[in-house]
Amino acid sequence: MATSEKKIPVTVLTGFLGSGKTTLLNRILTEQHGKRIAVIENEFGEIGIDQALVINADEEVFEMNNGCICCTVRGDLIRILGNLVRRKDKFDHVLVETTGMADPSPVAQTFFVDDEIGSQFQLDGIVTMVDARHVSLHIDESDECKEQIAFGDVIIINKTDLVTPEEADRVERRIRSMNALARVQRAVKGQVPIESVLDVGGFDLGRALKQKPAFLEPEYPFEWGGVYALQPGQASLVLGDGPDASMDVALVPVDSADEAGLKAGAETAVRFWSRSPSRRVSGNALAAGNTHFQLDFTKEKGRKAYPLSVPREGLYALFTEHGPEEYALRVEDPAGGFLKCRAERPFGAGHSHDETVASVGIHLEGDVDQHRLNAWLSKVLQEQGTDIFRMKGILAIAGQKNRYVFQGVHMLFDGQPDKPWGKTPRANDLVFIGRNLDREALTEGFRKCLK
Amino acid sequence: MSQVKKKKGAGPRLHLVDAWTLEAAEYPRSLDWSADGELVALGAADGSLRFLDSARGTLLRTKSSGGGLTCVRWNPRQRLLAAASEDGACRVWQGSGELVAELPGKGGGWVEHVAWSPDGERLAIASGRTARVFTPSGEPVLETEAHPSTVTGLEWSPRGDALATICYGGVHLWPLVEGSPARHLPWKGSLISLAWSPDGEVIACGSQDCSVHFWRLGSGKDSEMTGYPAKPRELAWSKDSRLLATSGGAAICVWRFEGDGPEGTKPLLLKGHEDLLTALDFGGEALTLASGSKDRDVLLWRPGVTPKPVGLARMKDEVVLLRFSPDGRRLAAADATGHLEVWRVAEARVG
Repeated sequence: MATSEKKIPVTVLTGFLGSGKTTLLNRILTEQHGKRIAVIENEFGEIGIDQALVINADEEVFEMNNGCICCTVRGDLIRILGNLVRRKDKFDHVLVETTGMADPSPVAQTFFVDDEIGSQFQLDGIVTMVDARHVSLHIDESDECKEQIAFGDVIIINKTDLVTPEEADRVERRIRSMNALARVQRAVKGQVPIESVLDVGGFDLGRALKQKPAFLEPEYPFEWGGVYALQPGQASLVLGDGPDASMDVALVPVDSADEAGLKAGAETAVRFWSRSPSRRVSGNALAAGNTHFQLDFTKEKGRKAYPLSVPREGLYALFTEHGPEEYALRVEDPAGGFLKCRAERPFGAGHSHDETVASVGIHLEGDVDQHRLNAWLSKVLQEQGTDIFRMKGILAIAGQKNRYVFQGVHMLFDGQPDKPWGKTPRANDLVFIGRNLDREALTEGFRKCLK
Repeated sequence: MSQVKKKKGAGPRLHLVDAWTLEAAEYPRSLDWSADGELVALGAADGSLRFLDSARGTLLRTKSSGGGLTCVRWNPRQRLLAAASEDGACRVWQGSGELVAELPGKGGGWVEHVAWSPDGERLAIASGRTARVFTPSGEPVLETEAHPSTVTGLEWSPRGDALATICYGGVHLWPLVEGSPARHLPWKGSLISLAWSPDGEVIACGSQDCSVHFWRLGSGKDSEMTGYPAKPRELAWSKDSRLLATSGGAAICVWRFEGDGPEGTKPLLLKGHEDLLTALDFGGEALTLASGSKDRDVLLWRPGVTPKPVGLARMKDEVVLLRFSPDGRRLAAADATGHLEVWRVAEARVG
């Protein structure tokens, strides 16, 4: 038998025309990073670097005759990678650039479906570049843009110098709400550390485990939280005009003006949202306590002020359905001065712009029954495989000492046992990224797989 | 494999007698014997092309190309070698080393396939979605329309009156006779290998989805043979057109075109390799089949006579190429390290 060698990592670079793919590609090819890179690109003549192996290819997507309707692969990649592998001493990384309007599924699926390619190459990650200024429009208008964001292991928001920091924040929040698993980076002229692009480990199941904190990030019904030091009868929440006719907010006392305080406050606030909000118009007070409020803007334009009613002097966190920049939101003292926000952070919003593409994260403690899980997953994938772009999970399977890690692309998936649970409490984390996902049905379905 | 060596008295035995070896030290991509059997050409992934004296393995000359070589083929009548390259051209060389012509592929992409017509008067090359036909001196004769996807194989009809090309979606037949329409044999799948039966009746293709598809040209009837564990990249017809040997697993699957078969019949499964097949070739009048595998072994078979291998040799690494000399008396094999070996095929006395 020939000895099995280390697989060659492949990075897929996707993004709309004008997002800055070529700039990044040129940087990767010219910078000293010690890697020899073979590039498979789809357009002629852009790059002329001597030391790099550059192959031009037309994207040839075709369906596999395996009864799986969404199973498309890139025929040109199978052919070219099959040839390239014979020169594997000449390079140690492959970079595939897709056309601007490409759906990333066929590229990703190629590595799952074709045994020859899968045995020699390892899909390291999908890097999606977006243009900070135009991406919102692209998300609204194009399925391909949604898919590129949903598939990304790394999403680079490029050209942030062309937008205000608030706009960049908004774009980042929107992207995170669609794809909770990706690492989102900001860049100007494609300036990101090369290793953050070439060594992603997005399809490395062991690595997915290390990135667990991202998996566990719960979703909140609000996008932002900020801590203020308030005194009774002294401050008001002031808003300008914003995109929606109403916004939900809550005020919660917290212990500290830091991350921990905000997180604890957020957990309290989340419970308020399970009940109906109390309606408020400009001038009505917002009391810190046990409910959340719906600010109704339908009859009010321009400046709106809501006195913040607190029982005693202290730290309070304000949680808002939308980001503060969308409504020019601030807290004012009676003289009209701005109160300083002592700590703030964005929260992954579950509702977020009513995106059709979103992430659903499920965390459940306990053991799952393997047979029930298989039956449920096959049903979910059969019925919604075309709408589920990516899926990752770490499972505690009843009777197994080791964690089971898996990931999938549409209907295809791949899993393996990982390290033992040991003393760690056994729990399951599952994340779906897809279109029109029913969070409750997925969570309920998964819950039924528990022992 | 030891039982193959030790077992005696069961039918024919063939010995592979060492003739010579060569270390090309580069991944070999294509190998061919000249029509007179005197020269061997070896094209490698680094773009090197070696002309070797087939009697002793003497390196006569080396040529290099700007890109890896994909396919080298000798003209069936004269000492002219066509060598297709990833640098976007196919070069035609005299056996003596002079360059006769440099034929450009369409659009500068890789030239991946070449085939001489049986009379040696035409040379077809494929690059990207287009196939072109030239005279041996490089005069253009024909250019096909663009195919729906990259051409993944091409071959001449045994009579030389048509060219077959494959790509995603089926086989295209391009008649070289004026006024005849092109023909399309549709199949919704990506075809990856092509072999025209020597009698001209059947076109067989391997498909990406681990099946073999074939068309009977007379009736237009087509059939699909499924169940392969891997892609059937290698196809080899016996000279009498009755046996089609196919790869796509560790066992060689041989379909018999006899009676109403192979439809509705079980294929012969020749088991001897321990890993996926990588090369197949039929040689000589005795219908000897040679097979190479990732397991490094080269096995010889007489498929109609016994289901057991009748000869064995072992390479240093995965076998990549196998090719019988035109008279079937010698066999050349190359492995992934660039080790090339040429044997004489000798009948052994039984007992």
